[in-house]
This record gives sequence, structure tokens and C-alpha cells, in this order.
Amino acid sequence: MSNKDNNLLWRLLRKNVSAGQMAGFAIASLIGLVIVLLAMQFYIDIKPLFSSEDSFMRRDYIVLTKTVSSVGSLLGSSAEFSDAELDDLARQPWVRKVGQFTTPQYRIYGSLTFGGRGLRTYLFYESVPDEFIDELPEGWGFDPAERKVPVIVSRDYLSLYNFGFAATRNMPKISEGMVGMVPIQLTLTGNGHSETVEGRIVGFSNRLNTIIVPQQFMQWSNQRFGEGDTRRPSRLIVEVSSPGDKAIDEYTAAHGYEIAGDKADSGKASYMLRLMTGIIITVGIIISLLAFFVLVLSISLLLQKNSRKLQDLLMLGYSPAQVSAPYVKIILTVNDTVLVVACAAMLVCRQLFYMPILSSMGVEGGSVIAPIIVAIIIIGCITATSVYIIRRRVDKLMKQ
Amino acid sequence: MTRANATIKTFIIHNSTYMELSRIEMHDVLPAVFATRGDGGSEVWCHHVNFERGSRYLVSAHSGTGKSSLCSYLYGYRGDYSGRIAFGDTDIATLGIEQWCEVRSRHIAYLPQEMRLFPELTAMENVELKNRLTGFRSRTDIMQMFERLGIPDKQDQPVAHLSIGQQQRVAIIRTLCQPFDFILLDEPVSHLDETNNRLAAALVTEEASHQGAGIIATSVGNDVMITVDKVYKL
Repeated sequence: MSNKDNNLLWRLLRKNVSAGQMAGFAIASLIGLVIVLLAMQFYIDIKPLFSSEDSFMRRDYIVLTKTVSSVGSLLGSSAEFSDAELDDLARQPWVRKVGQFTTPQYRIYGSLTFGGRGLRTYLFYESVPDEFIDELPEGWGFDPAERKVPVIVSRDYLSLYNFGFAATRNMPKISEGMVGMVPIQLTLTGNGHSETVEGRIVGFSNRLNTIIVPQQFMQWSNQRFGEGDTRRPSRLIVEVSSPGDKAIDEYTAAHGYEIAGDKADSGKASYMLRLMTGIIITVGIIISLLAFFVLVLSISLLLQKNSRKLQDLLMLGYSPAQVSAPYVKIILTVNDTVLVVACAAMLVCRQLFYMPILSSMGVEGGSVIAPIIVAIIIIGCITATSVYIIRRRVDKLMKQ
Repeated sequence: MTRANATIKTFIIHNSTYMELSRIEMHDVLPAVFATRGDGGSEVWCHHVNFERGSRYLVSAHSGTGKSSLCSYLYGYRGDYSGRIAFGDTDIATLGIEQWCEVRSRHIAYLPQEMRLFPELTAMENVELKNRLTGFRSRTDIMQMFERLGIPDKQDQPVAHLSIGQQQRVAIIRTLCQPFDFILLDEPVSHLDETNNRLAAALVTEEASHQGAGIIATSVGNDVMITVDKVYKL
């Protein structure tokens, strides 16, 4: 069809096209879409803050101990987990994996020399299976031939030394980088042996309130210096499927277990973040849906008002596709505009409102691809459905 | 049905293979609204009626005997009848939307009684709306038809400003802007005086003869001045 012919069709069919209704749809659709996109993008951007806040322990791990009560201690009830208790725990639906902390069965005497002064103390450390450490520091592992032991300590210990001990004793403060350079002499004594190995701090943990050595070293050293009696685990590390789950609290309370540290709280925060994002996205989708209904109503009204003209054109031999074309074009134009403006608005809001704050926290922000694809899918669905509705209604006009 | 569908599809794909609609058959057709009334002495309803390409028919009717229903059945925008209507061997109830568009722009030209012009467009634009779809007439052809029907000065006037008689002539010109095997005229000259009736009849007859097409005209009184081969009382 020529342009002129299109113009004739357009002149006939543009009548009753309500700019107000189209604007209403466009604005509502835009608001809905921007909310969905921004919520998604915000979630993607802020997620690293929750998942890598502790580079050592992921947020969906919790550490379980038994509650130590005075009565229990007196009655001699064990603070260790029995096989039955471990099995029962592993069967819980919220449990993905259970790992045990292995403790040394010998005495450890640690000493380090720093700035000409020595520091000597009895030490304690534990180990967990490597699979529970999500980011293994470089050089993690143990080779008996080399006798060098990598160690991860709680960052609190460093703070304790820097701001407590060093400050009062006039000792130099040390940075994380410097700590790695200071060798710690670990003297292991037990089973009639005594040996000194060289330890080195290779990583810090924000929340794991202990000292961790590689599992291989623990096995090697226990074999060599241990008295042979295998001790049951008293601390467990559990990978959970959803950290905010109420069932976790109920279960631990019922069995007299304690969740160590604030890991469960962080899990709850992350759970709340997901919940909030979910709610906001739902609100956005509802607004988009309402906008879509405005569009459908507007189309229906338009086709109703112009049905006689459409019918007359069909009587002339115009096909439903040809007479629908002007309306399809309007919808495509409006929806494409909404799509582009929504994506642009999302990117602008992101830069204006929260990216500077996230950047200052050292979070770079995630990819914007996923929300844009979602926007294309939403607008694509709205467009396809509206075009389908138009075509179906026009097809119906072929027969009175 | 499948064969006919295939033929029409062939037509759409290879525009040169022109499928000809040589015969319209009506078998025991009765509008649903007359179901309780019976044929009422009609020679069309509940009868076997054949319209042959190249022949001319007048369907003479009284008001309320289903004249417009007949046209709407043949043009495919109503289907509320019993019996069977066939284009050649194809039951028209089996035709799809695409095929009806094809029928309407290539095989049956239809002048509805209410004309169905677009009042906001000019006379020429109304005609062009059809002609640009079919590409059948040259601008000169169209201007000549306006001249022959005595309304050359009305080409650029909005149809809303024309008299009913003038509108009827614009509608006739528009109807002729397509190839057709049959031309279906629903009371084409109801608002034309004798002279204009004769002019219009001559133009339509000439075009139908030129295309070897059949004419089916209906009338409730003011008969179009066409010599017909058969008159059916509706």
C-alpha cells in the first residue's frame, strides 16, 4: 500500500484515538516498569554487599554449638554432638550440608617476634572442611614436607591487638598486610613429640570468631601429636537453604543449640532484602498490569467506536491486518517509547540515588542486562497481547 | 473445500493465476429469522438458485423479504441462514478471512444499499480508498466515470456535502474500481432520476460485459434500467 493510501486509512481510523487514554497508559506503564526495573537493579547491585560482606563465611552458613548451662555442666551433659544428633540435624529440610569443626588433640604454644619484642601464648585453633570456605585464600593447604601452616583469624583479634594491646603497651600497630609477613612459631606438643612449625596468617574473617587452619594440617598433626582418642565435634558449621527460615530458630531452641555470632541475623537481613525486593517488584508488576488493562480498555473502546468504519473498510476488501495496522503502529510507538524511557529512567535513578553510596562502600554494582531484558519481555508481552486483542476483535468484525 | 482453498491460495501466491468465480449456487437457503415463516412464496428462499457468470439477474423484492440478508450472505458478512451457498463447488461457510478479502476485492463487487461511503473523505478519496487496494483503475478512468455519471465537479467535495443521489453515483464508481466476476447491486438507483438511472445502468452493464461478469441487482420498486436474463421474486 502506498503512503497516500495509508494516510487515507489513518485519517479514517485516527478518529476516537484518545490521546488522554494513551498518555494515561504510557505514564502508568512507565511507573510500573520503572519500579520493577529499579527494584531488580537495586537487588542485583546490592547483593554483593550481603554475600561478600564476609569473604570467608557466606551468609547462608551458620555455626551451631550446644548451649552451655551451669546445670548441664554440673550434670556432666556433653557439649559435643552425638551421631544421632548429627543425623537428625542433617535430615532437616533447611539443611544443605553439615560440616564439623575439628579440634586439635595436643597442646599448642605460639610465639611471634615483632618489632624486637616477643609475644608468647598458648593457642587454640580449629579446622573445617575446605568446601565450607567459599573463598580459599592463596596458599591454603598443607604440605608435611614444608611444614608451613596458613592460618585464618577473626578480624576482631587484629582489632583487639591494635586498639587494645598495642595501644596500652606502646607496641606498633600492624596492618592486615603486615600480619601476613610475620611468621608465627607454633610449637605442637603431645603424644611424646614436640615440634615447631611455621604459621602465617593468610586471611581474616569478619564473623568467624576463631582461628582456622587447613583440614589436612589438622589431620596430620592430630595423627602425630594426638593421644589417639577421637573427640566428638562440639561446633558444627551448617549450610542452610534459607537463612531467615523460622524453622531454624525453632529447631535450635528445641534442641538447646546456639547459633554463633550474628550470622543468622545477617541471613535475616538478606532474607528481608529479598522479601522487600519481591514485594516492590510485585507492586510494580501490579501497576504494569493495571496499565495494561487501561490499554486494553482503551483499545476496546476505540474499536467499538470505530467498528462501523472498520467494517466498511473490510467490506471494501481490506484485510483485518491492513485495517489494524494504524492501531498496531500506535501501540508499538507508545510501548517502544515506554521501554526506552523506563530503561533510561532506571539507569538515571540508579546513578543519582544509590550508586554513589554503594561505590563509597566499594561495591561496583551488578550488570544492567537482566533488568533490561526483563523490561523488553514485559513490554513485548503487553504489545503482543494488545495486538492479538486488536486482531481478534477486527477479525470478528468480518462477520456481523 | 480443500481444493478450492488451494486454488485461492495459489491465486494469492501467483497473482497471475486468476481464479474465476463462474457460478454462485444457492440450495434451500433460508434466513434464520424466516425459519418459522417458511419461504413465503419466494422464488429464492428454499429453492435451488443458480447465478451464472455473464448473465444478468434482477431480484425483485418487497420490504422485509430478506433482500439485504441475501446480499450480506453472498458477501460473507452474515451467516445466519440454513441451507448451502456455494461459489463454484466451494461452500462459502468454509471460506476463511483471507479468502473473503480476496473475494471482496477480486471476485464480487458489491454496492450496499446504504452505500457505506466515508462522509469525512471527498468523493475521489472514497473511490481511491478502494482503487488503491485493487490497483484496477487509472486516475483517468475514474475521472471519466465521474464525468459519465454527471458529477465531475464533485470529485473533491466531502461526501457529507453531497446529495443522496450524488452519493449513490460515487458509490457506483467505487464499486466498479475492482475486477469482478459478479456485481451485486443492492437497490443501486433508489435515489436516481430516470436519466441518471439510465446513465448508471449503462456504465454498470458496459463494465460487466467488458469483464464477462454477471450482474445481480435487487429492487423494491425503482428498477435499475438493465435488461436482465431472469427475474427472481424474493
